[in-house]
Amino acid sequence: MESSKEKIRGVFSRFGTILALVVLSGVFLLFIPGFARMRNLLNIFYQIALLAVISEGFTMCLIVGELDLSFPSVASLSGALVAGLIFGGMHPVPAVFVCLGVGMAFGIAAGILVTKIGIPSLITTLASGIIAGGMVYMYTKGVSFYGKMPEGFLLLGRGYVGPIPSLIAIMLIVVAVAQIFVSCTRAGKYMQATGANSTASRLAGVDTDFYKILALSLSGLGAAFTGILLTAKLGSANPEGAAGFMMDAFASALLGMTVLSRGRANPFGTFIGALMIGIINNGMTLAGAPYYQQDITKGVIIIFSVALTSLQSKRLAGG
Amino acid sequence: MAVLRTSSLVKRFPGVLALDRFDIEFEAGRIHALVGENGAGKSTLVKILSGVYPPTSGQVLWEGSPVRFDSPRDAGGRVGVVHQERELIPHFTGYENLFLGLEHSSFGFLKKRRMEEEALKFLGRYRMNVDLSLPAYRLSSGQQAMLAILKVLFRDPRVVIFDEPTAPLSVAECEVLFSLIRDLKENGRAVLYISHRLSEVLRIADRITVMRNGCKVATVSGSEVDEDGLIRLMIAKDLENQYPKFPAAIGENVFAAQDYRAPGAGIHGVSFSIRAGEIVGFAGLVGSGRTELAKSVFAGSRGSQGKLTLSGKNFRSKSARDSIDQGVVMIPENRREEGLVAEMDVGSNLIFPKLDLYTRLGFVNKKKAQAAAENAVEKYGIKAFGLSQLVRTLSGGNQQKVSVGKWDLAQAKLWIFDEPTQGIDVDAKTEIYSIMGRVAGAGSGVWFISSELRELTSIADRIYVMKEGRITAEYSRPYDGERILDSMIL
Repeated sequence: MESSKEKIRGVFSRFGTILALVVLSGVFLLFIPGFARMRNLLNIFYQIALLAVISEGFTMCLIVGELDLSFPSVASLSGALVAGLIFGGMHPVPAVFVCLGVGMAFGIAAGILVTKIGIPSLITTLASGIIAGGMVYMYTKGVSFYGKMPEGFLLLGRGYVGPIPSLIAIMLIVVAVAQIFVSCTRAGKYMQATGANSTASRLAGVDTDFYKILALSLSGLGAAFTGILLTAKLGSANPEGAAGFMMDAFASALLGMTVLSRGRANPFGTFIGALMIGIINNGMTLAGAPYYQQDITKGVIIIFSVALTSLQSKRLAGG
Repeated sequence: MAVLRTSSLVKRFPGVLALDRFDIEFEAGRIHALVGENGAGKSTLVKILSGVYPPTSGQVLWEGSPVRFDSPRDAGGRVGVVHQERELIPHFTGYENLFLGLEHSSFGFLKKRRMEEEALKFLGRYRMNVDLSLPAYRLSSGQQAMLAILKVLFRDPRVVIFDEPTAPLSVAECEVLFSLIRDLKENGRAVLYISHRLSEVLRIADRITVMRNGCKVATVSGSEVDEDGLIRLMIAKDLENQYPKFPAAIGENVFAAQDYRAPGAGIHGVSFSIRAGEIVGFAGLVGSGRTELAKSVFAGSRGSQGKLTLSGKNFRSKSARDSIDQGVVMIPENRREEGLVAEMDVGSNLIFPKLDLYTRLGFVNKKKAQAAAENAVEKYGIKAFGLSQLVRTLSGGNQQKVSVGKWDLAQAKLWIFDEPTQGIDVDAKTEIYSIMGRVAGAGSGVWFISSELRELTSIADRIYVMKEGRITAEYSRPYDGERILDSMIL
């Protein structure tokens, strides 16, 4: 029987991150003028849109119990490639698909190395990320791509759906699709099972290798898509364009593990995590805090949230 | 005709003959039990029958024709195994665990309602009370075990293997399990039931096969044998005389316990002593508390009470490190997981506990360390190509010698050996006995836990018998094996 004290603790540990989000927003609301304006709130969502999309891909890896360190480089590569192809005269639609394909190919290759050869994903994707990073410089010769891009392509990053910026709409769709995929489809279940207990899953007939490859390729896909959106948002491509996503995407997914589902990565949680990062960045910028303070705050919050998760799973193992 | 049978099955691991020309058969509508001490080869048999690994030689026959299961998945539809470790996904619900690998879906989307209906219909067939809507981690451990069993049955195998299924179950849950097994029997399944609890085995089994050292000792019908008879078959003596004698001068108490209690480990008030130069045996059935007692003394146990003394001084230990520093070392039962770092080489394993002796300002003096390791290799007769051979690749006996040799420390006064000869071949056993003799001869006390009565009566100077967390009897030479056996059982 659960005592009421345990129940309260259970609620706190499951909803603690959301609670922290509410408290943090409350503090910013009270003390930072301008934070609560509708325009600023939309702005926060706009700022985290790309972060959320790339983090959802990374979340897939965490669900199967693997890591992906290559996604920022893959995103940069895809962002540069889409710009280069379009400036080279290719129609944006095939250009986008080529880039998505390149992103997935990186994921599939890494997945095969991880499952069939047995190289840990940390090492595989560290190396494939370095390769992708090298390829960006090979392709761009280290310079940014500027130029005129077709309106239709730019709308992807700068347009509006009604009153909502298209990037926000895309983010919400990606989060919803990812969450439905993970919780309602057979493939999503198998990915969770693979991450939770791969021996039991294999014995039950789940092709765990396949689902690891799938997860890594979804991470590549998310990264490539993010790179494309970044280019559409900026109207140009920079070889280091997506490098800054690494830490924030890790932070989002790790924070997300404390949301709702007991220490397991999940798409909705990742979205909440990204939102939290966005609010910290936005609120502290508005408050005039220097950049390094934001980093320190984020670091502390990551440790705090992971500690919470570890305590949860420790208690689980104990009882 | 037998659904499944084996013919002259042999499984050889480096240094160990785990199965020796083993024959057993399973008939539809029959419950066949398999009993034997730890290390007798039961789990090896299960792993071969369920496709985890192939036999070295011999055959598995399905309805008379040879089959080869290349993986558990391959065997899954025909041979289902309820494992000791419950293989569930903790945060998946009962439904999700039940259907893992067999989900219904359309266009990739799970058909939850249909699966739930099917699961409830299935559950109705087996009068089992498990709430399938809860995630597995929220179920009690008995219910988790039930769920794991349901998961196997759901795949509808013709042969169902239960490997120690009742260990985590309450009495009431055991009854449910037994009626379920009888249902399976009536439905024409062949059941293989493995358990250490002989009373259960006698209650439900039609036939019982007794295993020892990878060989079949006998197959008897459930009605023609009783518990004593089974134990005698399981433990019975080997004929070779493999027990070297090392006379040692017996001195003062090295270690003594007075009314020691460790509620967390299920130890209720034990008093005993071990003297210098003495080998003291601890006999008892599996689960009698022998290992638990040794572990809680060695590694500490929260809430333990009573007086322990080591060489006349108070002995209190919170951790293994604590004990080692005070001069108590333990060679654990589970050498691969607890006694050795199997992925590292012989030299490193031998040097581990005494690295401090060869370290100055944080740097290891390699020459000295290597010399010490070479010394241990020679002293303990470890047969390896060199110090750099990986422990994993050694035979069982040599692994055990490394596990013992790493404690070759000046300050070790009490050595605890937990089932040191389990799963190793006869020659290596003899060497382990001589090592124990030498340790005692050098004036240390030896605490010797074993399930083999024969080796206890041959090696030990005194024998304590444990039962249900208590010491129930003490014997000294000359031993009467029958009486010791009786006090273990009765």
